[in-house]
Amino acid sequence: MTAPFFRVDNLNTWFFTRQGVIKSVRDISFELSRGEVLGIVGESGSGKSVTGMSIMGQIDEPGRIVSGSIALDGEELTTLGFEEMRHYRGKRIAMVFQNPLMTLNPLMRVRDQMYEAIGEHENISRKDMHDRCIEALKAVGIPSPDERLNAYPHEMSGGMRQRVVIAIALLLGPDMIIADEPTTALDVTIQAQIIYHIRRLIDEHGLGMIWITHDLSTLSELADRIMVMYAGATMEIGTTEEIIGAARHPYTRKLLDSVPSRNVPGRKLKQIPGNMPSLLALGKGCPFASRCDRATDICSEPVPAIQLSATHHIWCYHPFED
Amino acid sequence: MNETIFEARDLSRSFSVGSSPLRDFADHFLRDRPPKVLRAVDNVSLSLREGETLGIVGESGCGKSTLARMIAGILPASSGERRFRDEPYESFLARNRDALKVQMVFQDPLSSLNPRLRVGDIIGEAAVLHGLVRRPQIKDYVADILSQVGLPADSMGRYPHQFSGGQRQRIGIARALAVKPDMLICDEAVAALDVSVQAQIINLLMDIKQDSGLAMIFISHDLGVIRHLCDRVAVMYLGRVVELTETEQLFASPLHPYTRMLLEGMPKISLQRRRFMPIQGEIPSPLSPPSGCHFHPRCPMATEHCGRIRPELREASSGHVHACLNIEPC
Amino acid sequence: MSTAGFKDYAQHFAESRAAVVSLAVSLAFVACAIFAPLLSPTDPYDLTQLQLSDALKPTGSTRMLPGEEVRANIRIDGSATSVQPATPAKTHVTLVAEPCGLNCLGVGVQPEGTRLANLQIRNLPAGATVEGARKHPVQSWWTVDNPEGGKVRIASNGPLPATFTFLAIARSMDQETDFVFHLGTDSFGRDMFSAILYGVRISVFVGLVAAGAAMVIGTGLGLLSAWRGGITDAIIMRAVDFMLGLPALLVGLAILAILGNGVSKVVLAIVIVQWSYYARTARSFAMSELGKEYVEAARCLRLSPARIMLRHVLPNCMPQIIVLFTLNIASAISLESSLSFLGVGLPLTRPSLGMLIASGYEFIFSHKYWISIYPGIVLLVMIVAMNLLGDRLRDLNNPRLDR
Repeated sequence: MTAPFFRVDNLNTWFFTRQGVIKSVRDISFELSRGEVLGIVGESGSGKSVTGMSIMGQIDEPGRIVSGSIALDGEELTTLGFEEMRHYRGKRIAMVFQNPLMTLNPLMRVRDQMYEAIGEHENISRKDMHDRCIEALKAVGIPSPDERLNAYPHEMSGGMRQRVVIAIALLLGPDMIIADEPTTALDVTIQAQIIYHIRRLIDEHGLGMIWITHDLSTLSELADRIMVMYAGATMEIGTTEEIIGAARHPYTRKLLDSVPSRNVPGRKLKQIPGNMPSLLALGKGCPFASRCDRATDICSEPVPAIQLSATHHIWCYHPFED
Repeated sequence: MNETIFEARDLSRSFSVGSSPLRDFADHFLRDRPPKVLRAVDNVSLSLREGETLGIVGESGCGKSTLARMIAGILPASSGERRFRDEPYESFLARNRDALKVQMVFQDPLSSLNPRLRVGDIIGEAAVLHGLVRRPQIKDYVADILSQVGLPADSMGRYPHQFSGGQRQRIGIARALAVKPDMLICDEAVAALDVSVQAQIINLLMDIKQDSGLAMIFISHDLGVIRHLCDRVAVMYLGRVVELTETEQLFASPLHPYTRMLLEGMPKISLQRRRFMPIQGEIPSPLSPPSGCHFHPRCPMATEHCGRIRPELREASSGHVHACLNIEPC
Repeated sequence: MSTAGFKDYAQHFAESRAAVVSLAVSLAFVACAIFAPLLSPTDPYDLTQLQLSDALKPTGSTRMLPGEEVRANIRIDGSATSVQPATPAKTHVTLVAEPCGLNCLGVGVQPEGTRLANLQIRNLPAGATVEGARKHPVQSWWTVDNPEGGKVRIASNGPLPATFTFLAIARSMDQETDFVFHLGTDSFGRDMFSAILYGVRISVFVGLVAAGAAMVIGTGLGLLSAWRGGITDAIIMRAVDFMLGLPALLVGLAILAILGNGVSKVVLAIVIVQWSYYARTARSFAMSELGKEYVEAARCLRLSPARIMLRHVLPNCMPQIIVLFTLNIASAISLESSLSFLGVGLPLTRPSLGMLIASGYEFIFSHKYWISIYPGIVLLVMIVAMNLLGDRLRDLNNPRLDR
């Protein structure tokens, strides 16, 4: 693995709504290297999707990146204008959403959509475009790509559509792909196929990838490193081995423990009591404290990062020891 | 405990696709085109014992939700027979108060609650209308149900949008429990929830099962959840049951190649990387399922007669049935 | 909706200034309609108040009282005088008499300052004369032309008899009054301001009642269509397509040509034209609600179809139907006005805005613009306000525009 080429430092993205300020992302920092998959895992409302949107420069009113830096190869992205950002989008950073129909135009053939994506940024002949499309479709494991090029999105299954979306993301040879719950809506057998092809792509092309999901099991199979988010803040970040095998933060532990396949069938699951606090009324302390059985008074103070290894950081006053 | 509470025999449900009375009429006279028919559920037979939890597992388009609605009696069957405690559904459903014995919990915690009704009305409405409880007592009654599902009594004055996803699912469960059912059908009841909340709801369902001895049909695409909750499991593929057995048996020695494929694809939290190529192929469109055994185009064990002969359910051992032509009876 | 929800909704609504203004204007029109009898200075429906002399008066002119002839028998009995009007109709000018000194009697008119063409005194007792009057050659008739201050004096050299009776006849000249026609008058001499207020009253009434009745009928049919499906749905929806295919004005004209005119018939015509919009909207939203799981839950709870449709589905369709209602009030008003303009809507004696516009149309080229223009402006403002209001409500209901 090479040195990180993409960095996010102390990112804060807030939404200024009528009800108050929703601090969706608070002081998030991470980095990404080529050939690496960083998984961001969290429940709904944890800020994981807002993080992805912030990187893409797609935060709409009333939201705003309040502070922090997002840098690709040392170039700051947060200060770019709309036109400059458009150049980065697709060309250097591509995004894949949960619902492929958000990306695909139902009225256009796959071929035309792919050509359009290339033509937006590059001026090459139709023959070259065609070759590149076929290559991209093959890379995501689409059988008989020539036929698929002529198809309309509605003629394909959900899994096939999502592969086409990933193929479009690959067309311009981006440095990194941000995937937001890309396999959540798909069946497990299809999900396994896509994950297989993604992993191969990352390894062969040296792409960086941020894989946003609520599903720890997908990440355990795919990601190199995992960042755990809760209520807009990072709880723990480390390699997959460190997070899945030796999680130290109470939230990560409890999240792992509440998965049915890690419990004895027929017995009660180890559940996390309570609900996520409202993002409107957060104190400066640990947001998980209200649901945490290890919490003490100190947890209402701002939590500093604790470095456990070169890769493993947690934000907790009372981590598990082993 | 071994009494049968519900039984389905050769239950089928077809939908005609993209049709309207006018188009049917035009088709009838102008063209000789057979209407497009989707067989969502195709000759399914299963039974549920008192106090038992039966899991139904399958991928999208396998007809599990249609089956759930037929069992709940809110969708008529195209053919086949449904019986509740040995009484045919036709007469059973005609008596409204008895029909309340079968209730359902839905997938989407947002759209399964009427946004314009207060929680108290959502839960209490049917109980009052059907005379289970008198109107003056309704507040206490609803408060009691709410506490059963772990919600405070003052929830009844609020509206669904004021609750989180997990709390809404609790309200949906409370609504079903309020009419004192004997059988509960949960259609993907935890699929839309976050992991930590999902665990809370699964535990709640287990509590309810333990306290009231409800018979339950639990429909899910998630084998992990099914394994945790169910006594027996039916695996469905494109409208048909392909394997049905005790949960332990299914996970320990699956017989049908589709079941095995599902188990292999089941996401696990582990540090062992999958480096092999997963099984290829897509789920075929239910509109034009493959001939013979629906699974044969994706099946590693398929032989040429799989495409011709429709496999019937056969018993491999006591209580373990499957629909594969290539498994030798043992 | 909860109070918090409503407050939020109201705040959201108020973010558009145009919407707030249009809401205020619409409410003002409704208030005008309700309180028209209190607000308007004259009653345009009272034909007896109309004077041809006031016809077609421009903006800001005053009402003219035409000259009249007033007769009264005046009886003197000692020091008491009594006046018995002898004119059958009620008059603006009345005669009065009062002593003005020894052997002197003044006869004048009320109100004071009324200019008279002449005042004639008849049948005076012998010896009495009227100052400055010319006497009829034969009869005992004394006439004063243009009496100063509208008064004459009856005098006598000797004492007047203790008791006598005479007849006084006053002919008044046309009188200017201080009643101003702020918006002019129409060809019947009606005050346009009052007529417009009453016209708004009729238009708003017709709009509300017709759109309301169409809403009830159309929504009912739409829900029925959505619930029953199949052949019922096909019949109702083909009827809707048929109605939507016909131009509304043409249908209205045809119906009124058969039924004749009148408020109730105009309402009926508008309902026949408009029910189809509600039926289509109610059906499509009910269909999408019926596909939601809470309806399946209600069926699982074995609630009756009527209850599911009315208590569960309908309230969730209402926001969209209310939007359509707001927009359709405006189109009902304009349809009524169009029909009245074409002369098949409301009777001439009870003018709506459309009728007023139509009645001024023949004078507009003789520079008598006010009869058509003012009701036209009012109609325009009213319809624009209601449309803006409806648009805003529709935007608020569109979750895609919500943030």
